Amino acid sequence: MHVTFLQATIIAIWIALVMSRSLLGGATLTLRFSPMMTGLVVGIVFNDISQAMIVTAAIQLIYMGVFSPGGQMPSEPAVATAIAVPVAILGNMSPASAVGVAVPVGLLGSYLYQFRFFINTFIMQKFTDKYAAAGNSHGLTLSLIFIPIVASFVLYVPFMFAALYYGAPFIADLIKTNSSSFIFHILNVIGGGLAAVGIAVTVYVIGKRSYIIFFLLAYFVAVVAKPLNITMVTYAIIGAIIAFIFVLAKSEAVTTAKDSIGSNKSGSHANVDDDDY
Amino acid sequence: MTDIKQRSIDLKPEEITKKDVAIAWLRFYFANEISHSFDRYLAGALMWALMPILKKLYKNRSDLAAAYQRHLLFFNTQLTWGGGTITGIMSSLEAVRANENYEGKPISIDDDLLYNTKAGLMGALAGIGDAIDSGTVQYIFIAIALPWAQQGLAIGALFPFVAFVCYQLAVGYYFSQLGFKLGRNAATEVVGAKMQMLIEGLAILGLFMMGILAASYIKVNSGLQFTLSGKNFVIQETLDKILPGILPLIVVGGLYVYFAKKGLKVTNALIGLTVILGVLAAIGIL
Repeated sequence: MHVTFLQATIIAIWIALVMSRSLLGGATLTLRFSPMMTGLVVGIVFNDISQAMIVTAAIQLIYMGVFSPGGQMPSEPAVATAIAVPVAILGNMSPASAVGVAVPVGLLGSYLYQFRFFINTFIMQKFTDKYAAAGNSHGLTLSLIFIPIVASFVLYVPFMFAALYYGAPFIADLIKTNSSSFIFHILNVIGGGLAAVGIAVTVYVIGKRSYIIFFLLAYFVAVVAKPLNITMVTYAIIGAIIAFIFVLAKSEAVTTAKDSIGSNKSGSHANVDDDDY
Repeated sequence: MTDIKQRSIDLKPEEITKKDVAIAWLRFYFANEISHSFDRYLAGALMWALMPILKKLYKNRSDLAAAYQRHLLFFNTQLTWGGGTITGIMSSLEAVRANENYEGKPISIDDDLLYNTKAGLMGALAGIGDAIDSGTVQYIFIAIALPWAQQGLAIGALFPFVAFVCYQLAVGYYFSQLGFKLGRNAATEVVGAKMQMLIEGLAILGLFMMGILAASYIKVNSGLQFTLSGKNFVIQETLDKILPGILPLIVVGGLYVYFAKKGLKVTNALIGLTVILGVLAAIGIL
């Protein structure tokens, strides 16, 4: 089992496009935070989209809710996926045990991203200030767009290539030769349980402690309704309806309360209600 | 009027249109994190976004250079709510300033006011925007698509990506136009009552979907069984009889309490939970 030169190169370039934040700019937010698209690219490159997507779904669960207020993340899901999915495909691993590979790789990836900030700081001080003072628009585009992208490519392409070309087959072989059921049992338990981290982070980030009742409601509905195989789209619609009812009831209550306090101001409240959308 | 005519017509600031602001927003969307640096964060992206507008407004090279320089001070916010709104507000304020500058009036929109407007809004809007966009909307899309990915379908990756990018572009466009139209007053609109209701609704939907995901995808089962006075006890079966799904809920609840007490330490949680699960699996409890 091995990774070809071409495969490693394509995935390395994809990761550089994402991590330099240049592929459609702001679109890299979800490309970097969510492993999904990277998993798909790996699947296409390794000609096994189906297996790649199944593994990526397991990785996605641990990285739910992971995002970076202020730009720094504890882990890099895209980098982790680019290594873990090839390892899983080459080593025929279960999705849950692939998670065990993804976590440490993701942690390593975050140091590399820090280094990118360092390079950009240097570029800004060296070039951007000079061009701004001279009112040189082309120079600014060069120093704010082109040079940072090139710098990130220099940083990420060789690193990812080496990790994929030499690292991934090595890890896959290592896991294969040591594939005692005991180790796989531990990896599977860890992989299955770590999904809780992403979900807990999301619940924490969404905030409002009293609203956790909606989380519990959904949790027990889903536990009870498991045999019915209700789709996520259906659940999303039900969730949206519940959210709408709650907000509606709350705003009606506020309006009624306000009206009963000051009837002379009721005209303006009615206006506010009329242009609801 | 005569005063204006005496000046070179070439130096008159051009009018800034909605289209200019839309382009500035798209430029901010593209440049967003590319030049992210330790000391200035996203200042370079905002400046690059405003470049065509500043070029239209300041025909004098030294004025233009000054405008470039004042937008290179530390700036950090969230992409759509913060970035959209502030791109719009800066476009409208710079247009006012450029005209004052051209007509020789005293400058009411000085460097401090521009920077303080940015600094006052960037944190608050980033707080809302991060929680809504990255923390809620993104994961609602992902939650919907996750079962498709688990079946091995490419749409599981494509749907959340395309949907989220469309969402970002639309929201940022809306806020940039709002910021341009209302100037500094836009801030009250963005954090206004109606937006608050929308935010609450999204928070509820987000939490609801997380509950569904937690029940569907967290796998924590006890493998423990023992024989007591001739009877065989399987712990998981007993647990399922009392309250199905109790173990995953305990794990999520424990993590939530940890975050609530110690702050959002995701790395610690990942490592800690890995160790706990690994040990429990090794000794056969899980």
